Amino acid sequence: MRKIMYLEFERCIGCRSCQAACRECGGHEAKERNYVEYVDFMESRQTYPMLCMQCKDPACARVCPANAIQITEEGVVLSAMEEKCIGCRNCTFGCPFGIPKFDFEANKMYKCDMCYDRSKYDIAPMCASVCPSDAIRFIDFDEMQALRRRRAQMNLVEGKKPQEGNKWEYVPEFFGVYTD
Amino acid sequence: MTQYLVKEGVKNLIHPDEQLITTHCCYCGMQCGMHIRVHKKTGKVVGVEPRYDWPVTRGKMCPKGVTAYQTIEHKDRILRPLIKKNGKFVEASWEEALDLIEKNFKRIQAEYGKDALAVFGGVSMTNEKCYLVGKYARVALGTRFIDYNGRFCMSSAAGGFLKTLGIDRGSTLPWTELEHTDCFFMAGTNTAECHPTSIQWFWRAKDKGAKLIVADPRETPTARVADVHLDLKPGTDSALANGIMHLLIKEGYVDEEYVNERCNNYEELKAMVEKFTPEYTAKITGVAPEKIVKAAHIYGRSPRSVVMFARGAEQQSKGVDNVSLYTSMALLRGQIGKFASGVATFTGQGNGQGGREHGQKSDLLPGYRKITDPEAVKYISSIWGIKPEDMPGPGVSAYEMFDEIHKGTIRAMHVICSNPAVSAPNLEYIWEGLRKLDFLVVNDFFLSETAEFADVVLPATTWAEDEGTTTNLEGRVIRIRKVREPLGEAKPDWMILSKIAERMGKGKHFQYNSAREIFDELRLASKGGKADYYGITYERIDKEDGVFWPCPSEDHPGTPTMFKEKFGTPDGKANLAVVDWEPAGEEPTEEYPHYLTTGRVVFHYLSGNQTRRVDFLKEQCPVPYAEMHPELASQYRLSNGDLVKLTTKRSSMVLEVRLTKAIRKDTVFVPYHWGKELAVNQLTSACLDPVSRMPEFKVCAVKLEKVSAKEVKAQ
Ligand code: SF4
Ligand code: SF4
Repeated sequence: MRKIMYLEFERCIGCRSCQAACRECGGHEAKERNYVEYVDFMESRQTYPMLCMQCKDPACARVCPANAIQITEEGVVLSAMEEKCIGCRNCTFGCPFGIPKFDFEANKMYKCDMCYDRSKYDIAPMCASVCPSDAIRFIDFDEMQALRRRRAQMNLVEGKKPQEGNKWEYVPEFFGVYTD
Repeated sequence: MTQYLVKEGVKNLIHPDEQLITTHCCYCGMQCGMHIRVHKKTGKVVGVEPRYDWPVTRGKMCPKGVTAYQTIEHKDRILRPLIKKNGKFVEASWEEALDLIEKNFKRIQAEYGKDALAVFGGVSMTNEKCYLVGKYARVALGTRFIDYNGRFCMSSAAGGFLKTLGIDRGSTLPWTELEHTDCFFMAGTNTAECHPTSIQWFWRAKDKGAKLIVADPRETPTARVADVHLDLKPGTDSALANGIMHLLIKEGYVDEEYVNERCNNYEELKAMVEKFTPEYTAKITGVAPEKIVKAAHIYGRSPRSVVMFARGAEQQSKGVDNVSLYTSMALLRGQIGKFASGVATFTGQGNGQGGREHGQKSDLLPGYRKITDPEAVKYISSIWGIKPEDMPGPGVSAYEMFDEIHKGTIRAMHVICSNPAVSAPNLEYIWEGLRKLDFLVVNDFFLSETAEFADVVLPATTWAEDEGTTTNLEGRVIRIRKVREPLGEAKPDWMILSKIAERMGKGKHFQYNSAREIFDELRLASKGGKADYYGITYERIDKEDGVFWPCPSEDHPGTPTMFKEKFGTPDGKANLAVVDWEPAGEEPTEEYPHYLTTGRVVFHYLSGNQTRRVDFLKEQCPVPYAEMHPELASQYRLSNGDLVKLTTKRSSMVLEVRLTKAIRKDTVFVPYHWGKELAVNQLTSACLDPVSRMPEFKVCAVKLEKVSAKEVKAQ
């Protein structure tokens, strides 16, 4: 697998399709493993999605006393192994992003596994597949780098990043300078 | 023929014991492509798989689309006909139900005449079904009273397009071009929530520097990403459009050559917009003059622009005016008929486009033919095998049918694919009408609020149990596939209508074995009309990723871009709209001091009869709420989560308060997807647009009162 998950929070429109789709992944037992929150509903409708960062040295796996959280050869941090998870919930506290969730009925944790049954074949995970705004993307590493560079380029052209409430004042009134 | 269509190199996850069936979502006009997963052995529906290679949506779906398959085998499905006995529904056989319908329809028509029966259709179903509803009303029942729920949805767009461009096609351009557009002017559309998968095109264009101007009283998720948000007062769209045109003319942004060559009324328009200076426009709309000027400059200077609108501008008593004026904005800039530019409405219902073209509207016959045109009547009669003099005349619009019920003209009704007991305005009047009916038949697959009033409920199939075509919001005719056999004794609507036709002695006009046969008849019926489907076949749709109408012959490529050379008007020229701003049907008064506006949330579709039953969607948004600005709320000592009583001239209801600064300080917003005591349409105004007969869902005057939970209980 050469692809990565790429998040662009400001694109998110808060539709929670990623959450609905997460439940649809074959291995997910109809439980979603990602979440979408309002930044501040009182101020604006801006939302952001959050899913597993698939850390190189994952806090959840590090704090697991039972070694239940496995990392695949591609680097995907899997959900806890059924037979190993002792239900101590360390992982849910350890993760800085609040990703591992706990199923009290089954007494085990569950988390985002990047839809491993799809991504291992290079098929996009469900959330990235459906996300209407491309806030979540499943792309090549190189493509991600290009996107990063493009951002810097856009900021240069626009000069100023818009501020809350007076965004329209900063809109340049010319075209074609940075279109393809 | 294979049911799983995919282009070379596209990978999907296919489980060995499952089969994928390629189709589209059942809900909104985006008609997102999807594959439905079916278990091979049992034939049961197990899930959904993205359709990455559908060019319009590229695998993307909103949460409604992702969960749509869950409605198919839902536990609430009606599986056998239901007959009401002593106020309770009991299951019955088809024979029994049809007997009862035949008896009552015949009795009522014998006693009160043919027009005592009415048909209320809908457009969340295939072209085949929509077409047949029109034929059923006119041939099988012989009544002139037929209309459909598009009157609560897109009819103002239709009216406005017809007036200005001469043909009502929801979008003048294919949406795959949108990524090349430089500027979008969007009015009254919260597309991020209502057509979520469209947002990918706007983002893609934005990534290249395109500008977004959004006119909306709320800072919706769409307005949030706008470069200029014109936060106008509800019901002031026509002033805003006139104000922008004033500036386009003043600043020299008009494409004079295009306007001189291709448009009428330019001088009159100039005279009309003369007074709409930014200051005057600001006074009416409540938008800061600098924002109006900024928007006009951005819009005026962009080489390629698309003007878009949706229910916000259309569901007003001036809906047709609003649409015509916004369309004129595009005309002044010479945009219509060119690459990546034009004008478009966001069609609300899945087949809102196709369903309004083929004769479900009170005054239209298939192919957008006018029922008042003797030539059209002659042609369609010949297709239908009836005498032209037997063709009923024009009827009345959806809401006005309820006036006819109250007057006693309409005595019985057949509701197909619609839920007016939630979606119509001024609901108490509607409910009273439904109660007053002698006899009510409803086709549905879930017991809707309307079906609860019925004497007979006939179990229809969902979209996945029948094949057919729909026409998406671009005007692209696409294919819906049969995913599984009908559940229980459910039947597709076309079969139900054919059976009733047979009972009414008109069976010979309804001899169909499949939806495809109906489509072939529809092709013929639309031939030579404005919406010409003659050249479209199921095979072509598969091969060409859908075909855009008009498509008059099988070797015609279809028409992705409309009006390249001329418009659909008699003289081939577009008619610029010359209309002044006029206040809404109901403006705030001392007694009712604020605006009430209604709309949708991303989790629900129309009257919610389907989406309210899907777990995920229900969890995300279980009940309606009243969204308002904290500054407005504090005048009534309301805080987040408090209960507020909203009262309009028609009725009142109690809702939970949700505070946000992302809304005007004079406006309260309530989503409309619920029935009974949770229906905001109890409060909405039935003031109709004079042309489109669209009710004014988006503007009425409201009074606020704080109430406690105790007081509510005591009532
Ligand atoms: S699907 Fe995409 S746009 Fe929708 S909530 Fe998730 S991240 Fe946001
Ligand atoms: S409801 Fe509309 S946007 Fe959502 S998946 Fe269905 S067709 Fe697409």
